[in-house]
Amino acid sequence: MQALLVLIPPSIMITWWHKTTRQIEQNVDFNTHSLDSGFQSQIHIIADSIPPLNSSAASLANLLTSSFNQTDEISFDEIETKVAPTLFLAFTTIPYLSQISYVGLEGLVFSYHIDGNQTLSTYANSSFSSRKKHVWYKQPVDNQTGKLYGEPVRSHSFNVVNTSWFQVALNHSSGYSSLENGWNNGGEPLFLTSVSLLGKGVIAMGVPVKRLTDRLGGINLYGGSLSLITMDEKLLLNGIPNTKFIYVNGTIFLQFMWPNGVKNFPCSNDTSETYMMVIDGKEYNVRCSTVKISGVQSVYALALPHEGIASFVYSKINFSHIALVVTMVLLVIPLVFFISSMTTNAQREIYLHDKLIKQMEATQQAERKSMNKSLALVGASHDIRAALAGITGYIDLCLANAAPGSDFETYLKQMSLCAQDLLGLLNSILDTSKIEAGMMNLEEQEFNLADLIEHVVDLYHPVGMIKGVDVVLDPCDGSIIKLSQVKGDRGKLKQILSNILSNAVKFTVEGHVCVRAWVGKHDFETEILASTRKGVGKYVSRLFSDKNEGNGNVKAESAVRQNRDLVEIVFEVNDTGKGIPKEKQKSVFENYVQVKETAAGQVGTGLGLGIVQSLVHLMGGEIGIVDKEFGEKGTCFRFTVFLTACETQGAAMYGGTNSSFAIRNSSPKLGIRTPSPKLDGSQVVLFMQNIERRRVSQKFLESLGISVLVVDQCHQFPSAMKKIQPKLNSLHHSSRRSDMSCRSDISSSSSKDMPLSAMEGAEHKLPFNRRKDAPSFNLLVIDVNAESFSELWRIVAEFRRGLHSTCCKVIWLDKPTSPCIDPKRLDPDDEILLQPFHGSRLHRVIKLLPEFGNLSQGISSSSESSKHPYSKTRLRNTQRNDEIQEYISSSDEQYSKQGSSSPTLVYTRGRLKSKRKNEDSAESSNGEMPLIGKRILIAEDNKMLSILAITTATQLGADVEHCENGNEALERVCNGLKAQRNYDYVLMDCEMLPMNGYEATRRIRIEEERYGVRIPIIALTAHRSGTEALEAGMDAHLNKPLVANELMKVIESLQTKK
Amino acid sequence: MDLIQLQRQLVDYRTSLYHEGFLDEQFTQLQSLQDENNPDFVVEVVSLFFEDSERLLNELSKALEQQIIDFKRMDAQVHQLKGSSSSIGAHRVQKLCIVFRNYCEVHNVEGCLKCLQQVKHEYGIIKTKLESMFQLEQQILNAGGSIPV
Repeated sequence: MQALLVLIPPSIMITWWHKTTRQIEQNVDFNTHSLDSGFQSQIHIIADSIPPLNSSAASLANLLTSSFNQTDEISFDEIETKVAPTLFLAFTTIPYLSQISYVGLEGLVFSYHIDGNQTLSTYANSSFSSRKKHVWYKQPVDNQTGKLYGEPVRSHSFNVVNTSWFQVALNHSSGYSSLENGWNNGGEPLFLTSVSLLGKGVIAMGVPVKRLTDRLGGINLYGGSLSLITMDEKLLLNGIPNTKFIYVNGTIFLQFMWPNGVKNFPCSNDTSETYMMVIDGKEYNVRCSTVKISGVQSVYALALPHEGIASFVYSKINFSHIALVVTMVLLVIPLVFFISSMTTNAQREIYLHDKLIKQMEATQQAERKSMNKSLALVGASHDIRAALAGITGYIDLCLANAAPGSDFETYLKQMSLCAQDLLGLLNSILDTSKIEAGMMNLEEQEFNLADLIEHVVDLYHPVGMIKGVDVVLDPCDGSIIKLSQVKGDRGKLKQILSNILSNAVKFTVEGHVCVRAWVGKHDFETEILASTRKGVGKYVSRLFSDKNEGNGNVKAESAVRQNRDLVEIVFEVNDTGKGIPKEKQKSVFENYVQVKETAAGQVGTGLGLGIVQSLVHLMGGEIGIVDKEFGEKGTCFRFTVFLTACETQGAAMYGGTNSSFAIRNSSPKLGIRTPSPKLDGSQVVLFMQNIERRRVSQKFLESLGISVLVVDQCHQFPSAMKKIQPKLNSLHHSSRRSDMSCRSDISSSSSKDMPLSAMEGAEHKLPFNRRKDAPSFNLLVIDVNAESFSELWRIVAEFRRGLHSTCCKVIWLDKPTSPCIDPKRLDPDDEILLQPFHGSRLHRVIKLLPEFGNLSQGISSSSESSKHPYSKTRLRNTQRNDEIQEYISSSDEQYSKQGSSSPTLVYTRGRLKSKRKNEDSAESSNGEMPLIGKRILIAEDNKMLSILAITTATQLGADVEHCENGNEALERVCNGLKAQRNYDYVLMDCEMLPMNGYEATRRIRIEEERYGVRIPIIALTAHRSGTEALEAGMDAHLNKPLVANELMKVIESLQTKK
Repeated sequence: MDLIQLQRQLVDYRTSLYHEGFLDEQFTQLQSLQDENNPDFVVEVVSLFFEDSERLLNELSKALEQQIIDFKRMDAQVHQLKGSSSSIGAHRVQKLCIVFRNYCEVHNVEGCLKCLQQVKHEYGIIKTKLESMFQLEQQILNAGGSIPV
């Protein structure tokens, strides 16, 4: 369509152009025609310009006649006197006249004529009849007067009288015109007009033909030519080649000679007929016409080139036509090409569009499908989980009924395990689909990071133990311990860590798995801030001891007021297993991928690391595999997560109210009690089997400024002990280590003269290390798995005997799975600690050291030592069967272990409680009475609910008081404040009459402010959210009805907050 | 032999109560609170619940008979009922109370009446069920056996 539209304007143009050229052609035709007739009329005008002289000749004759007698002969004298002047007069006045003459019958002649530039007179003065000879003379004439002068010259004589025109003229009185030859030298032809004079003579006037032919030749015929002939066959002009005039029967024909013959055209009659002839290959139009010249009838033929100008114009027009068409064509071709290419492009584009749309639809559909699939999977998994829960429930029911020890019970337990496995598998799939569906959210809560890590590591320690793999927790620079409370998704972090750790343990056959965690570099200052705030009181003394450092810290503190929220925690799980091939390292994080070579014989979906990666990303971190040095075995996973650091409340956490332990503070020495002069650096001897654990423990202890002696092989142990013994006794501390014969890795980094390596930049050397005193306290940490117990015991006993003044304490590390220590042989002061020796256990051991808070130097009394946290450690002795439990109310640790100790070590604040029937260590910790010694006030108006709450709390060991409304509660709290007997917790129902729980809480808060205390108040609500309660100043909220577990959870979290 | 059968019967019965949704884990919690010091704890609490509930149900019935119904008060009463029923783990009653409260909030008398009837019905069921369970337990105790957990 567009193409056709484009063609319209050029076609219009061409049509217009064609019309114009037609008009031009017509114009040219018309012009040519008018040019033809113009030529003709021009010829006629020229012919007319030679005027007929008849009238003037006649009047001249009349004039002369009057001067002569009719009868008399005319003598020459008379001619000379009368005729000659008149002739001269006529000769000079009449234009174009070249000859005028008088010829008498008798032969007398007188004439004037122009010969060249001269006017001559020719005359004959004697008649035929006289005696004188008839001679013609020629004599020049004066142009002015007409008088003859000079000598007459004989001239050729013409026989005029006998000529036909003379005879005819004699009878013509009105003049006769004819074409005659002149009398001058050339004898040129003249148009001669003659008239008779009285019948005796003739007067003739001649006009030269040349005059006419000259003028005719002067016409521009544009390539044409002209022929002229008189009717009496006297040719005047023959311009047309190859032609001649012929005279047949009174008619003149123009004879045209073709190369192959002759053609005649009649010319005499005055027709406007046009003939065509070809001359020299050119076509000519020939036109004949008659014309009267000076009274002489003549015929002329005008040959004009056929279409002379027009053909030129025509050819040019045609040429331009062609040029135009060619231009058009040239224009149209690219246009067509262009349009066609455009069309193809457009088509292709449309095609691509179409494809794209289809593709997009397909993609969307696929996405929808995948989404639906995920959702369906979530739904299905959920349903399956519900069914599984049912199955496990029934298995438990069956278990309850099954006879203990029977096969049936075993099978049921197997089933239960299988169901748990299945549930775990399902959960991982559910997690994956949840993550895919983007429905995984972080549940933020506050928790103790160090505890979490230790808990996870402890979980996998037994698993590793069975395989002979030691799972070690490396405290690194201790930054995690200092960080303590953080906010984040505890469960997911645990999941991540568990997953990686379980993989590490699963794929490691020998060696160790090491878990490291530290706070990422960029949040370093945050910690300083948090730590400096904590220990400001004790900080002062430190400022004195080292001013420069102190100033630096203050600066740092002021510089980092902002940006103290997010903390980057870096975890590293390093194993000595088979490792993952480099090329597979990337794909292990993809779902359903397992590295086949290493996974042989291992079960799993391969979902684990995929989920882990997603979870790590969810927590804003990164996970990857760290390249190991060449030759090192195993894999090292490193991941980071971002957690929110809370205000650390760590100082009071460890060690109850009396003994403050400094580990949780920023620097260990802050916790050191003003050292008495004799309290000096303690000597710790580590004897452990596992290299990694030894290394880690040593590093950590040394970073705290404790001098450590490491023994790695049993046979060196006795010698090392011997070496150290005299040094200790001689009070010369300086030589105690350097000359030791033990291998190079028996080392203690704390040399006398050098500052101790610090935990971090802000640390300082410990003041006590500068003193040159001998260590007053020795701690031996011995791993009994390395050597037979009896051998070790012997060495230790020997060592002990050698000691005099200094005290020595031995920590025996034992496997929980296969205890091989004979507790009977132990010194009452020695302790048995179960593996793994890290985390909180390590800290407990550190706390035994006098500079870290152990007041009881030396061999302390059992009751005193048990005040310290290590008494919480699981101690074994032969009286294990007694099942005596110890609850320590000051304990706030979730892993406070059941301790069954020898009678001398037992110290109970609460009441002793005989063990229940169903003994299981995990359950017992829940089922016991952690609230012993606590006073709890319960305000609840509903009788039933109050009974429930009271019973629950009482069963947890608490001392419970009850009141029924807010007023009463307020009163009781006030009384308690006055009597300095505060309640430890208040459980407050919110909706009571007359005063409700919120109001009561507000008032209590006002009251207690005066005493500077804050009693934790826990709201009891039937509402889901406890925001209102928290706004009213309550510390936590619990949903009704009260459940023991939840109450304990809240109380624990409150304690950690403290 | 008789004792074992009785014990089994009790377990079955209790399981069915859980299974059919009459009771939930809160009742288990309740049972766990019962010990030697407090041997009749569950019975005590449950009878308190019966007392409480009957009083509340009476008050609710009366309130709904009034010309001008005090929905706010009713809401509070239903809330109490919900609290006490959830305390003993009477699951179905508790669920109904949630619906009931919704009706109270929008002042829907029809819905309230309907719910009240349902609550009464459910309450009746749970009461008989619990009572028969206690009877069974009593029988076991009388026969000198212990109550299986």
